[in-house]
Amino acid sequence: MSATSTPPVPARFQVAKATLLMDRFMNHFIKIGGLSVIVAVFGIFVFILIQILPLFKGAEVGELKTIPLEKGVYLQLGIDEWSELPFALQADGDLQFIDVVGDRGVTTKSLPFVAEHGIGGVHYNQLAQRLTVGTADGRFSLVNIRYKPAFSANGERTVDADLQADKLLPIGRPGVPIKEIAYADAGSRKLAVATQLVDGRVEIHAVTLVQKRSLMGAGRTSIDTTYDLTGKINGAISSFLVAAQADSVLVTTDSGEVVYLFLEGDDFQVRQTLKPFAHLPNPQVGLLRYVFGDVTFVAVAPTGETKGYSLYLDPKVKTRQFGETKTFENQPGVTEVFAASVRNKAFVLAGENHARLVFSTTEAIRWEKDLDFSVKDAVIGGKYDRMVFLDDESKLHFYRLKDPHPEASFDAFFGKLWYEGASEPKYDWQSTGGSDDFEPKLSLVPLIVGTLKGTFYALLFAVPIALLAAIYTSQFLKPEIKVYVKPVMEIMASLPSVVLGFLAALWLAPILENRVPSILLIVLLVPLSALVFGWGWARLPPRIRLFIPQGYEFVVFFPIMFAVGWLAWNLGPAAERILFVITDPTTGTRVADFRLWWPAVTGTPFEQRNSLVVGFMMGFAVIPIVFTIAEDALSNVPQSLRSGSLALGASRWQTAFRIVLPTASAGIFSALMIGLGRAVGETMIVVMATGNTPIMEWNIFSGMRTLAANIAVELPEAPHHGTLYRSLFLGAMVLFIMTFVVNTAAEVMRQRLRDRYKTVE
Amino acid sequence: MHKNDFLSSDIKPSGEGMVWITSMGLAVGLTMIVFLLGMIVYNGLEVFWPKSVVRLELKEGSTAGLRNAPAFAGEIVKTQTKAVQSLGADGGSLLRQREYQLFVGNKDVYGFGYKFIDNAEIVGESRPSEIVVAERLEYGNAIFIPKQFTLADGSVVGADDPAFTATFDRQVEEGNERRAEIRRIERDQIGAINRQLDAIRLGRRAIENKGGELSVSDRQELSDFDATVATLQAEYEILAAKARGLRELQGANKIVYTTVDGAERTLSSGDLIDYYYPNRLSFFDKVGVFVHRFWGFLSTEPREANTEGGIFPAIFGTFVMTLLMSVAVTPFGVLAAIYLREYARQGPFVRAVRVAVNNLAGVPSIVFGVFGLGFFVYFVGGNIDRLFYSLSLPTPTFGTGGVLWASLTLALMTVPVVIVATEEALAAVSRGSREGSLACGASKWQTIQRIVLPASLPGILTGLILAMARGAGEVAPLMLVGVVKLAPTLPLDGIYPFFHLERKFMHLGFHIYDLGFQSPDSEAAKPMVFATTFLLILLVVCLNLGAIMIRNHLRKKYKTSTF
Repeated sequence: MSATSTPPVPARFQVAKATLLMDRFMNHFIKIGGLSVIVAVFGIFVFILIQILPLFKGAEVGELKTIPLEKGVYLQLGIDEWSELPFALQADGDLQFIDVVGDRGVTTKSLPFVAEHGIGGVHYNQLAQRLTVGTADGRFSLVNIRYKPAFSANGERTVDADLQADKLLPIGRPGVPIKEIAYADAGSRKLAVATQLVDGRVEIHAVTLVQKRSLMGAGRTSIDTTYDLTGKINGAISSFLVAAQADSVLVTTDSGEVVYLFLEGDDFQVRQTLKPFAHLPNPQVGLLRYVFGDVTFVAVAPTGETKGYSLYLDPKVKTRQFGETKTFENQPGVTEVFAASVRNKAFVLAGENHARLVFSTTEAIRWEKDLDFSVKDAVIGGKYDRMVFLDDESKLHFYRLKDPHPEASFDAFFGKLWYEGASEPKYDWQSTGGSDDFEPKLSLVPLIVGTLKGTFYALLFAVPIALLAAIYTSQFLKPEIKVYVKPVMEIMASLPSVVLGFLAALWLAPILENRVPSILLIVLLVPLSALVFGWGWARLPPRIRLFIPQGYEFVVFFPIMFAVGWLAWNLGPAAERILFVITDPTTGTRVADFRLWWPAVTGTPFEQRNSLVVGFMMGFAVIPIVFTIAEDALSNVPQSLRSGSLALGASRWQTAFRIVLPTASAGIFSALMIGLGRAVGETMIVVMATGNTPIMEWNIFSGMRTLAANIAVELPEAPHHGTLYRSLFLGAMVLFIMTFVVNTAAEVMRQRLRDRYKTVE
Repeated sequence: MHKNDFLSSDIKPSGEGMVWITSMGLAVGLTMIVFLLGMIVYNGLEVFWPKSVVRLELKEGSTAGLRNAPAFAGEIVKTQTKAVQSLGADGGSLLRQREYQLFVGNKDVYGFGYKFIDNAEIVGESRPSEIVVAERLEYGNAIFIPKQFTLADGSVVGADDPAFTATFDRQVEEGNERRAEIRRIERDQIGAINRQLDAIRLGRRAIENKGGELSVSDRQELSDFDATVATLQAEYEILAAKARGLRELQGANKIVYTTVDGAERTLSSGDLIDYYYPNRLSFFDKVGVFVHRFWGFLSTEPREANTEGGIFPAIFGTFVMTLLMSVAVTPFGVLAAIYLREYARQGPFVRAVRVAVNNLAGVPSIVFGVFGLGFFVYFVGGNIDRLFYSLSLPTPTFGTGGVLWASLTLALMTVPVVIVATEEALAAVSRGSREGSLACGASKWQTIQRIVLPASLPGILTGLILAMARGAGEVAPLMLVGVVKLAPTLPLDGIYPFFHLERKFMHLGFHIYDLGFQSPDSEAAKPMVFATTFLLILLVVCLNLGAIMIRNHLRKKYKTSTF
């Protein structure tokens, strides 16, 4: 009986080696393969996540080089477009060009007029590469720094620079040194402004310039008009700014006022006087500078409080004025240095041993650091990829800046932002604009609202029909007919959405546009007719009622529905003439037109491609899904429950409404959720049948832009790995999460329902 | 109680009105779908049905016609009642005016193709039998009265000549043959030369990129290139001259005609594609024209910004894309389903995975498109380009949308559908047959391979058909990963390596979007959109009906075979 005595297994019962090997191989193959397919499918989520993560990162900054310069006093720092040849202007009029990439070291070029006339204030325009140099004897010169890239035989680039100084032009009081100077060139309008210290008092003077144009090209510039602005300012002038539009000057005074002077007609007018730090014990403005675009200025108080003001059209004042739009985090110490990017709305604030990179639109600090040197001047590279600091020991610190998505932040996507030119903070999506200084507006909120709006109207139309049809099909319809009815409804689910979108836009929208009153009547009258007919029918004696066998009501209802529908359709214009009459304000005639009536009464627009059209067409996509799932849930309610109810004398409606419906409620909820998920992600119908404007309103007669449509419209043109590209991925992620959560909720409900049925049976 | 008592009693079941309300739901749903399908079928097929051309005579002095002529002709497309509503101060009056929309053709003469005319302007209408509708290469159809053919040898065949119709037929046929020949020369033969030149260009660049001194073999190769280029150039000249000659022949014979409103025009017979006398056709002739035009629509390429001609490339593109998608989706979907159902330990984890897979089927298609663009096109494609096609950079080969990426994206989108359907089918295989197989000594894999998979094959097929239907009708993700409005080449042709997976392709669904929304003349494009819509719906509905039928058949089978 021991194990050793068992006879060997006969050969015919032995499994072939190949079979065993195959089995083992398939075991592993299917496990690994199956798991990796599932992992790969969920990799979608991970991949999209990886794409959007850089949006929420700050700037990466690292020091590349430190270059000691000749000791001395430096007035201005500048840099070329490629960030290869920055310069520093010394007080003796020497420009030192520092080669930070190659090995050419420092080249010095002198401003020709400084030896004779001395040097006063300096102003640097990085975009135009132009220095405006004031002299010690009341003149100024425009100096163009001409950076020229040269390419060697093997394609390497070197940047060279030379200077071209225009002739000296007089400004302000002759012979008095220029304290500060600024110049703006807006094509036809050119404006130079300078301050001078005259008898212990600061005077401010402005000149406009004209440039003669001839067939030979642009000629010399000469003085057109001179203005003395000193009298327009109450108090001691401390500093000023000239806007790039060359039409206005901002003057700060020692008492902390900012005066906005605007060139209107032939003189400057005081448009506005602000006091940014009036609430502080020392209301002085320490630093006042424009960010790129010259629509927003940043004011820093000596205590470190920092604010941003933007020009916008206040509906109350009717002119464009500055208003406080931004509050930045307080500076930790004294702030003396400001440098704005010429690419976007970022700027550097620095002082003592601290530097900070801030993005104006989002008020976010992109980067900050305590440095081991004291910053005297700073400049940001033309491509927003380099930063240069000059310290108090005349050393140049060259930094690498990597900040590909400065305009992105959680607030930018989901919060209200006060954009330049806007009269209030808003949720706004406008990814591209016409000009360089345009701020991309990337709020996803209007898109989410649009998505919900489209979904709401689609469900409003689809859910009643789908649920009623599901109840009827599962509870009352003859099973023999049901076999044919269900596939027909399911075919509806297979209609490609591009077909629905095309029909919605080119066929339905033009019809509905003229027939809104008819549609309203149909929506009102058809259900009413069903109710009235059913109520009346039930009151007839059973002898007559038997003419329509139970389960065939819908067949009888077809002619009724068509008759009522036809009637309502044709009564529409008549109803319009009675109900929707307005008086045309221009001609005074009374017009019966719903399209005019709606905007006049509700104040919201009426568009041809609107939510009504979208809702109706999306119904084709949503109805079959809701119908199928709800019908399944209702049909699967155990027969014993129905039989019990009917046996106790409940009518078929009572049974359906009181017994079947509550039992299947979880399944119906699940059907609604899945229908919702389908509507949320619908793309083509919305792209084609709405105007795709990202607006935030719930008006049924206007369009919207949904997340899905937004992706379809903008992604093909979004530059790879740009901010817009990643923002659209973020939109896709939001969509993914929305539908996934909704579907999971539905699935869990369904599972629970299944368990419940198990206990009933 | 007697039955009669019940029938005459006044028992009123509660809630009958509500039952009727629910019946309304079903009636509305059914009406919607039937009406929509009916409308698409009607509008889609009507496009190809030859309509008779009506000559309308206008009342004297009317300027409502074309070119101020007293009469014009066209096909009546739409008749509608225009309601001129005015609720003036005088109490208001409602004018009802009948108006017709006519397709007048001759876009080269009028500048537009459709025209509205008020009934009040018309004094007489007739259907002259000599009117011809001709399909042309440019400017859409022409509607005219032919005058004569002026042939290259100087002879003239007048419209009243008995040989006129024969001449007309011959001219159209010869023109079409020559056009096919030109196309063959330019596209196939000259195209082949261009491909060789392209290969040489890349070869040169490869040698140049090596840098440094050229080796002997390199120099030899470069001079070989020069020689080949010279021969190719000579061949090209010969072919180009041949094509030029044929082009000249195309313009040699001319038809002279007048439009009904009196403009005289001359048209090269090489520009004619087809013609018929609409008012001479019997019903069967019309059926003939209908079939002919429908076949032309299916088999030819689009012309004039897709508003004329056929949609063959779109049908073919949809077909290839769906085929590739099926090839990709089936093994992976089935593999994952077998793992989930047969190999994985059933527990909360697998249940969660199952729920998640199910939910993926509900994730919007555009999300998959976004993934396809980011992952397949930019990441995978970009890297393939850097590794294997670095010579042709910066022109991307795989780093841009193409049929391969499109079908992989859709495969990813439809893989949950296949997984769910396969799992259901696997679960439906009875425990008895499995256990029988195992008891007979089969291994697990043998059981799956020989017993379970064959039994669940129809179920898997259902899933695949549903996936194909979804893939064929989907447009939104394709817009991101490689569909174009007009592809010059097909993704599958006779040129090595035959399958051109990197090529962009056309798609029926995108064709609808593009024609309806990006077309310069959306009115002229409308018939084409409806026809394309009809075709797409036909395809998708057939696939779905097939799937539904297989499924119903299966359900019956399993119901009877459970034990």
